[in-house]
Amino acid sequence: MPDDLLERFQRGDRLALARLLTLLARGRPAAPILAELGPPPKPARVIAITGSGGVGKSTLVGKLIEHIRGQGLSVAVLACDPQSPLSGGALLGDRFRMPSRPDDPGVFIRSLAAPPGRGAIAEHVEPMVRLLERFGFDVILIETAGAGQGDTAVRELADIVVLLLQPETGDDLQWEKAGVLEVADVVVVHKADLPGAEQVESQVRTMLGLSDSRQTPVLRVSAKTGLGLDQLWTILAQCPLRRPGRSAGGRELLALAQEALAARFAAAEAARDPALIQLIDQWRQGQLDDDQATAALWELLRPSR
Amino acid sequence: MANASPIRIVLAKVGLDGHDRGIKVVARALRDAGFHVIYAGLWQTPEAVVRTVADEDADWLGISLLSGAHMTLVPRVLRLLREQGLEHVGVLVGGIIPEADIPKLLEMGVARVFGPGTPLSEIVAFLREQSEAKHAG
Repeated sequence: MPDDLLERFQRGDRLALARLLTLLARGRPAAPILAELGPPPKPARVIAITGSGGVGKSTLVGKLIEHIRGQGLSVAVLACDPQSPLSGGALLGDRFRMPSRPDDPGVFIRSLAAPPGRGAIAEHVEPMVRLLERFGFDVILIETAGAGQGDTAVRELADIVVLLLQPETGDDLQWEKAGVLEVADVVVVHKADLPGAEQVESQVRTMLGLSDSRQTPVLRVSAKTGLGLDQLWTILAQCPLRRPGRSAGGRELLALAQEALAARFAAAEAARDPALIQLIDQWRQGQLDDDQATAALWELLRPSR
Repeated sequence: MANASPIRIVLAKVGLDGHDRGIKVVARALRDAGFHVIYAGLWQTPEAVVRTVADEDADWLGISLLSGAHMTLVPRVLRLLREQGLEHVGVLVGGIIPEADIPKLLEMGVARVFGPGTPLSEIVAFLREQSEAKHAG
């Protein structure tokens, strides 16, 4: 990594931000970079927008960008599209639905490819979010590549998960099956200018009413007419951030510890450490249960060794 | 992973013509060849295209023009790229470009001009070759 990259980032150089995002996307260990950059100026509001293909995620994100800028806040977008399982290639076509002024420093959009089987999210999105937060963006929007079944990866990344549905998406059982309703903090019935939106809204309310202790808001929005956009942003701006400790560096410490542990494990594995081999054998054969084996592994990999 | 560092290319239509059939076919072919293609869409200004290239940290920019305005718009894109420290980004031009203008565009710094009827495999091969050369150098 060029030495001046972090320094340029600190000075607010967008090209340095763009390059560091690429390095993280390609799997460069994030902890040293983030540690070097220090804590973010303020915690960002991290909002994920998820929903099936064609439901209007990019278009709504485009409208939200305008709205957020109108409030005087800056916004970065990580827009995920699916990566071909065959070629590894990807056609990333979200940003052309997100018009923004090319000279506006308060908007940053990066397109990412989501490999198959990762819950519709690109790899390494978490450190990328933290990098954008350090750059000073007030709001970070993550657009998924579609609603995965049981999309929990998104929930771990974002403070707020917005699920988009649209009229005539199928019967209520479909949502239940997909398990996406329970992931949502806010449910948006999008394309509310189309007929059937009210029915979908009441179906969702009924379904949520059966099991929901979180009082998930449900609202109708139309990016086309602007209906509900104000209300949506009001809700998003007031949602409590899920990870209050995030900006205090707790997550980074965890990430550092995980990396250190993984490095020690790899080293012991490479050295064919007899104690490690024995431990793995005992665990495989069921002589140690998962908890015992984990505890033994920690003991084995302790720094004093 | 087979393709840990895929080549990123921004494809855009610059200027006022609304014909995006060709560029979409190219986008598809490049995706199938393993590239990460960022499709920036129609009616882009040079400023908007360069912003996209910057934020996306793209290796390549492919612009398609069928309006005849290439001798104004392409130099502007190249100049903006240079001004913003993006001279490492390779620029491809596609569309309807008169034979006589091609050497001028190459002289200005365009890496290659692909006219109508160019086999898609030729574009893919060119990008692969050039990218390897870049990484080797």
